[in-house]
Amino acid sequence: MPKKASDFTLMITTIILVFIGIVMVFSSSYPDADYKLGNPYHYLIKQLVFAVLGFFVMIFFMNFKYWILSRLSKIIFLGCIVLNALLFTPLGFEAGGATRWIKVFGYTLMPSDAIKLGSIILMATFLAKKKDDIRKFKKGLLPALMLISFSAGLIIIQPDLSTSATLAVTLIAMLFIAGAKMSHLIGLGMIGVTALGFAIIGESYRIRRMTVFLHPFEDPTGDGWQVIQSLYALGSGGLFGAGLGQSKQKFFYLSEPYNDFIFSIIGEELGFIGSVIIILLFLIIIWRGIKIALSAKDLFGCYLASGITALISIQTLVHIGVVTSSLPPTGIPLPFVSAGGTSLLVFMAGIGILLNISRHTKLDRS
Amino acid sequence: MSSPSVTTKKRLVFTLFFCLISLILLMGRLAQIQIIKGEKLREDALEQWTRDIPVPAKRGIIYDRNNNVIATSVSSYTVWCRPADIENPENISNTLANILDMEKNDIYKSITKKQSLVIIKKWISKDVADALRTKKIKGIEIVDDNQRYYPMGNFAAHILGFTDIDSFGLYGVEKIYDKYLTGINGRWIKTVDGKQRELPYDNQGFFEPQKGMNLVLTIDETIQHLAEKAALEALVKNKAKKVSVILMDPSNGELLAMATKPDYDPNDRNTLIFDPEEPWKPLQDFEKEKYDKIPWDTKSNLLYESWRNFPINDNYEPGSTFKIITSAAGLEEKVVTNNTEFYCDGFARQIKGARIKCWRYYNPHGSQSFVEGVLNSCNEVFVSVGLKLGKEKMHEYVKKFGFGSKTGISLTGETSGIVRSLESMKEVNLATISFGQGISVTPIQMVTAISAVANGGNLMEPKIARKITDNEGNVIHQFQDKVVRKVISEETSQNLLQILESVVSEGTGGKAYKPGYKIGGKTGTAQKVVDGRYAPGKYIASFAGIAPVDNPKVVALVVIDEPSAGVYYGGQIAAPVAGQILQETLDYLDYQPVLTEEEKKEFEVSLIEIPDMEGLSISEASKKLNEIGLKHVTDIVTPKSEDIVKDQLPKAGTKVKKGQIIELYIESTPIEKSSSIVPNLIGKDQNEAIEILNSIDINFKFDGKGNVVSQSPKAGTIVDYNTEVRISLEEINLD
Repeated sequence: MPKKASDFTLMITTIILVFIGIVMVFSSSYPDADYKLGNPYHYLIKQLVFAVLGFFVMIFFMNFKYWILSRLSKIIFLGCIVLNALLFTPLGFEAGGATRWIKVFGYTLMPSDAIKLGSIILMATFLAKKKDDIRKFKKGLLPALMLISFSAGLIIIQPDLSTSATLAVTLIAMLFIAGAKMSHLIGLGMIGVTALGFAIIGESYRIRRMTVFLHPFEDPTGDGWQVIQSLYALGSGGLFGAGLGQSKQKFFYLSEPYNDFIFSIIGEELGFIGSVIIILLFLIIIWRGIKIALSAKDLFGCYLASGITALISIQTLVHIGVVTSSLPPTGIPLPFVSAGGTSLLVFMAGIGILLNISRHTKLDRS
Repeated sequence: MSSPSVTTKKRLVFTLFFCLISLILLMGRLAQIQIIKGEKLREDALEQWTRDIPVPAKRGIIYDRNNNVIATSVSSYTVWCRPADIENPENISNTLANILDMEKNDIYKSITKKQSLVIIKKWISKDVADALRTKKIKGIEIVDDNQRYYPMGNFAAHILGFTDIDSFGLYGVEKIYDKYLTGINGRWIKTVDGKQRELPYDNQGFFEPQKGMNLVLTIDETIQHLAEKAALEALVKNKAKKVSVILMDPSNGELLAMATKPDYDPNDRNTLIFDPEEPWKPLQDFEKEKYDKIPWDTKSNLLYESWRNFPINDNYEPGSTFKIITSAAGLEEKVVTNNTEFYCDGFARQIKGARIKCWRYYNPHGSQSFVEGVLNSCNEVFVSVGLKLGKEKMHEYVKKFGFGSKTGISLTGETSGIVRSLESMKEVNLATISFGQGISVTPIQMVTAISAVANGGNLMEPKIARKITDNEGNVIHQFQDKVVRKVISEETSQNLLQILESVVSEGTGGKAYKPGYKIGGKTGTAQKVVDGRYAPGKYIASFAGIAPVDNPKVVALVVIDEPSAGVYYGGQIAAPVAGQILQETLDYLDYQPVLTEEEKKEFEVSLIEIPDMEGLSISEASKKLNEIGLKHVTDIVTPKSEDIVKDQLPKAGTKVKKGQIIELYIESTPIEKSSSIVPNLIGKDQNEAIEILNSIDINFKFDGKGNVVSQSPKAGTIVDYNTEVRISLEEINLD
């Protein structure tokens, strides 16, 4: 079968987003980097290095026949488990009461990012193998649920509830796309909500967080702080923004603005217009991703593309939702844009895979 | 290889739409935050980013009527600290402690406070500010400030009042005209980050402060100086509790001077400058320190007392000076004429159940006309006049002259005096009020009422401020003269002025007599009421004077509270002060004294030699002096007829003119009068100093050239005429 050209729109959009990410990471991180590390370029350099690395990873996966991943899925997943296990060795790096990073040669890696991709590949493999059996409870749903629970469980023990929930929702979305029975999914949804409820009640700080976004100004010094500061950032950006580099909120009003609140700084510096452009870029990625899934030549390709796109979509929606105080505050980085090497590598690998799938679509794209 | 099922495709499309709708909703939410609520959020954010240091505006200058500066603001500097920017509090507090001469621990506490901005020290000099600037300490800001400065120290302190540390007027005209004097503070805005440190860009904005407007008072610096000097001298000579000297221009109600001693220095209002135990004694520096250390409760009461503006804030019983009001009412209502006959047998017997004594009951005045009655200050005459008027009329005139209500002067804490209501006024009250007892007035009411008598019958609203000017000298607001009401007719006024002149030239006010100055007036001596009873040995001596009576230019009131040096009669101690100050003021106003034919003759006729009265009884002595045309007073208020004269002043054999008052001493001995008080010369130039010292006959010696920088002995010291005052001069730049 002749190879087609990969999805150029997707590649360009991704590269633009990554580029914007580098600029915004630099802009939002230099006060913090200067103050804490004495080097205002710390995050810029890191992001640049990983962007270049990520580019090669993307190119690699673009040319790596994706169905081989199906065969490697178990090994990849095992690798992820091993990586996660390293957290509990001296390599594990604790910050803010959780161990989510491994420190190797001065660089920190987030095993959870790798687990995300690993479990999507495994899930896609599983779903493609089950085909219509997925509608059956014992044969299809139960093993799928075990897989979801195990993957999410790997992350929840770090502990990192929000990432683990993101992954679980992504995998359930794959289950939904693969044709699971609606009655099963609704039942699953109810169980999920109940479980989430218990998880939240179990940790008192989570209850506060769940409600704080409704009335952030009632608790301006405590949990409402970040939310208020994010709203101040967006509000003072207005329609046209304060101008690139001109954010004031990044000067220690928002903490770590280059991670889970980078969209606030984008809103402040680039204004409503800049924010909408970023959202549209994500929409293009989501649209291309789903289009690729629709036209994939096999089930594995379809499910894999769906999973990757779902992950990007969910993280984007949650990140912007939190920043605009539309969702309870939680820490989810914005794909391609937020600082974080592993995250960038994983997402660019994902895009590479999507690009490879697009090369093997059965339909004529012209 | 199987391709995706239809279900999968449907669900993928559904997912796409789900994401699309979610993202559109989020864009809507963004629009709401960034555009609709943007303005409000931006303002809140701005408040969070900015810290501003106020830059105080310069307060307006207070001038006397001739544009001499009597209160101004001088540049100084204030040190602020931004604790978040302080990197090494230990070292910095050491440095600051050295430069600012403060306690290191206090500074350490300030600069480590969890506050965005802290004041370290207010009002440092330029030298200190420069020294601090060269250190370039991060987090320490030096801001231009200004400090209220009263160049003449305790000059007109009760009129001026003072301001607080933020230049907010608290007292006196500083308070009343605060809204004009206060400028608009500037702001020095800085943008800070979440750790309260300065942001590296667009971090500063400066808004210039706007200077306040200037106040021009009605006070005349020279006349005020004369009044202050007169009050201080009277205070010291009479060992009084306090002395007030007030001068008013009767034509428009403008106060020319209002001085009260003891007073305070508004530059340092928390330091007592007179001894609270012996109020006539100015404190030496080491004594001031002693009073600085007493507990604040006690000290604050003493300080409040020193800040009180007696002529406005306190009542006193006017005594015989009030007879002017009774006379005015009697003459205006025509119940008496100048020639109405009265008879004094020593006691007013018209009131049943009350026996009112005339002051000279032991040698009654006998038959006398109304005018003679005023000259003699005979109580019986005024009781009669009061009864003829009736209580309704009397009460009406008392109110019409402004007693019992505030005059409306623009000074803080005015009280209205105490006037019995018509309903509660019994005959006996009417009788005593007629000669000035049983009524309380404020000195300012008295001056205003006497001014109405002097100016042809118009009660004026007393004025302290003439106008408000801006910094280019433009008049922003002119305070108009205000006639409150017409009280008596022009004729009554003229007639009464003539009578009052005779009181001074021939009657009890003789000690105020200055040939050619046509001074009219009335003495007063009242026993003080303490807790509702007349307090033995506590008197208020006063004199109300008008000069010249043919065209009154100045009204003076001298009130001496609790003189304790022996003599306490108004005619003895207040009249000479008033005579002196009226003469000095008229001289200053370029008034040419005119001697009448009579006066010329009188100075030519032979003088009377005072006989020796030692050993005589008081009634014998009184008769003997009357025969040869001399008057007298005694050192105790109610001597018995058989009391023996122990001493007299002037001594036997001295030649004096007719009508001179001889002091007869029954219990005490005459006070030493050959002493003087050293005046404050600091800041004066050499010519001014010579003039002042010559006028009070003190020997002096100068060192150097220029303005007076120090003097020995200090101002307020009592010296005899042999003492030489040493004065150091230096060229000083007064800008």
